[in-house]
Amino acid sequence: MKHFAAALLSAAMLLTLAACGGDPDTAQESIQAIAMDTVMVFTAYGQHSTAAAYAAEKLAYETEALLSRTDPESDVSRLNSAPADTPVELDGRTAAALEAALAWSERTDGAFDCTLAQVSSAWGFTEDTFCVPGQEELAGLLEHTGFDQITLNGTAASHAPEAAVDLGGIAKGWLSDEILKIFQKNQVPRGRIELGGNICVIGDRPDGSPWRIGIQDPADPLSADAFVGILHLTDAYTVTSGGYQRYFEEDGKTYHHIIDPATGYPAENGLVSVTVEADAVEGAGAMCDALSTALFVMGEEQALEYWRSSGYEFELVLVTEDGRVLVTEGLADRFTAGEDTGYRYVTVS
Amino acid sequence: MLPFPELRPTLWDGLVVLGVILLAAVILASAWSREEDGGALAVVVSADGEEIDRFPPGELPDSPRIYENNGYTLRLAASPASGGDGVRVEAADCPTQDCVHTGVISRGGQSIVCLPARIIIRLEGGPPPETAVDAVTG
Amino acid sequence: MRLTTRQLSLCALLTAMALGLGYLENFFPLSLAVPVPGVKLGLANIVTVFALYALGPGQALLILLSRCFLGSVFAGNLNALFFSLLGGISSMLVMAALSRLRKLSVYGVSVGGAAAHNCGQIAAAVLTLGSAAPVYYLPVLLGVSLFTGALTGLVAACLFRALSKTGLPGLR
Repeated sequence: MKHFAAALLSAAMLLTLAACGGDPDTAQESIQAIAMDTVMVFTAYGQHSTAAAYAAEKLAYETEALLSRTDPESDVSRLNSAPADTPVELDGRTAAALEAALAWSERTDGAFDCTLAQVSSAWGFTEDTFCVPGQEELAGLLEHTGFDQITLNGTAASHAPEAAVDLGGIAKGWLSDEILKIFQKNQVPRGRIELGGNICVIGDRPDGSPWRIGIQDPADPLSADAFVGILHLTDAYTVTSGGYQRYFEEDGKTYHHIIDPATGYPAENGLVSVTVEADAVEGAGAMCDALSTALFVMGEEQALEYWRSSGYEFELVLVTEDGRVLVTEGLADRFTAGEDTGYRYVTVS
Repeated sequence: MLPFPELRPTLWDGLVVLGVILLAAVILASAWSREEDGGALAVVVSADGEEIDRFPPGELPDSPRIYENNGYTLRLAASPASGGDGVRVEAADCPTQDCVHTGVISRGGQSIVCLPARIIIRLEGGPPPETAVDAVTG
Repeated sequence: MRLTTRQLSLCALLTAMALGLGYLENFFPLSLAVPVPGVKLGLANIVTVFALYALGPGQALLILLSRCFLGSVFAGNLNALFFSLLGGISSMLVMAALSRLRKLSVYGVSVGGAAAHNCGQIAAAVLTLGSAAPVYYLPVLLGVSLFTGALTGLVAACLFRALSKTGLPGLR
């Protein structure tokens, strides 16, 4: 009798252990937040999913408070409003984001430029007060742009006279890198970090297939169902930049928010959207964010040239004004074209 | 007062243990089967990150709902075209009107966002998206 | 209910012991081994099992209620009262019923009680959260209750065995 009870209890013990072993992976937490002018969704699976998602949300609000251009208390505002050539002590995170921004400005020969603050303010993109600035005004402002106008020494930064920093083009990418670190620290086996159009996927879907990331159709930017195509990704970053994301019209002409640092005008180089994809390694989020802007500014030819010379550490989907969708070779087998989109799909190598 | 109990485990104790295991197994099985169909579709409305409303989309036709936040007002209505399961923002007084232009959402995971009002309307649950996407870049 | 002075003081003593055991169990954080909210040893259940047999359901219930109220007052957390009440009363009811089945030993009774305790707590969670999500924890909690129930059963059995030698004057 005693043995029977003992056997039954051991069986029960095994059953419990099995139940515990299977449980953590299915736990899921999904938090939405509005920060940095965009909608963020943090989806984490696993035992520590709740802790990971809430830590991500907290970091997003903190980063917004540090990097905002409209908040006069932010690190970026303090730096910009400080007298010229006077070092300003920054939060370590601001310094890290600025360092990434300056590095990518240099690596893209200034096609990504984190010093266009005054120029985009002149266009009203910072404050939603859209207007077309005069040519002389832009030419004057452009004299004080370029990554060499900013000096970063450890966590202290200073700017040259009239120069100002805008980290809008890299802040979300940098943040997604940091959130990925939070997820990894919390041993999140799978999940998604969505910061507006900046997506990072961790692991695969619960059903074992890759995550499916739709690339918004620039021709139908608000529809929840219109995609150029779908990317099938595991452990990857992807970011899309396009003129359709933010623009205004004046006198029948459309002006979008991606400024060409060379001209001070919205970039018009034949592309309507650029999607950059890379493996989820450290710093790749900031890279994808910076490159999506830089390659949009460069235009088709130069963008593909840059891709070829980069050692293929990232892949691209380019949508052109004349209705072509260019998918780079390394991404072709992870891309499915949308149905009835009217685009012509080309794989480039 | 009860007489003192048997102090050694008996065969009948095994029945209690079995009963508990059976109960656990039944709950586990029903949880699994529910997970497969993803539960019922629910409309979840949040303002400033706080959930302010949650209801099945089928309730909308009888009672359109109005949400106010950050100085703006949104009116949520059922979409007649999609047979009651879809919802859309029928009208809003925000400057961008993006939420109105987003149109109808009808599947779990889709959402309508009004940035000026800081309101997010999201569909949760429903069958898992087979052909749909998990996230959108752009 | 009329209690003799002896019964009243015994109830008070047992309530104090239950509270002490409830505090003691903080030093055995079972939730570290099984990371599910609500997992604990349930040592205070020993007192309930004992009281049920030694003093009968009426006084056992009295002790249980005092323990729940005082426990949440001491913890400064009245939210927990609802949880411990619902858990405690379900456990009490099931054990009172099971203890009438003469074929069950103290082990079976206390396993049943531990399982019922978890069911009651999950019911409280479902009611307060307005969501069925906590039910998913129940299978794990039920599994754990098999051990914690067996453990409290073991302690109670030892207790009764010792008392059968020395006796508890005035009770039998």
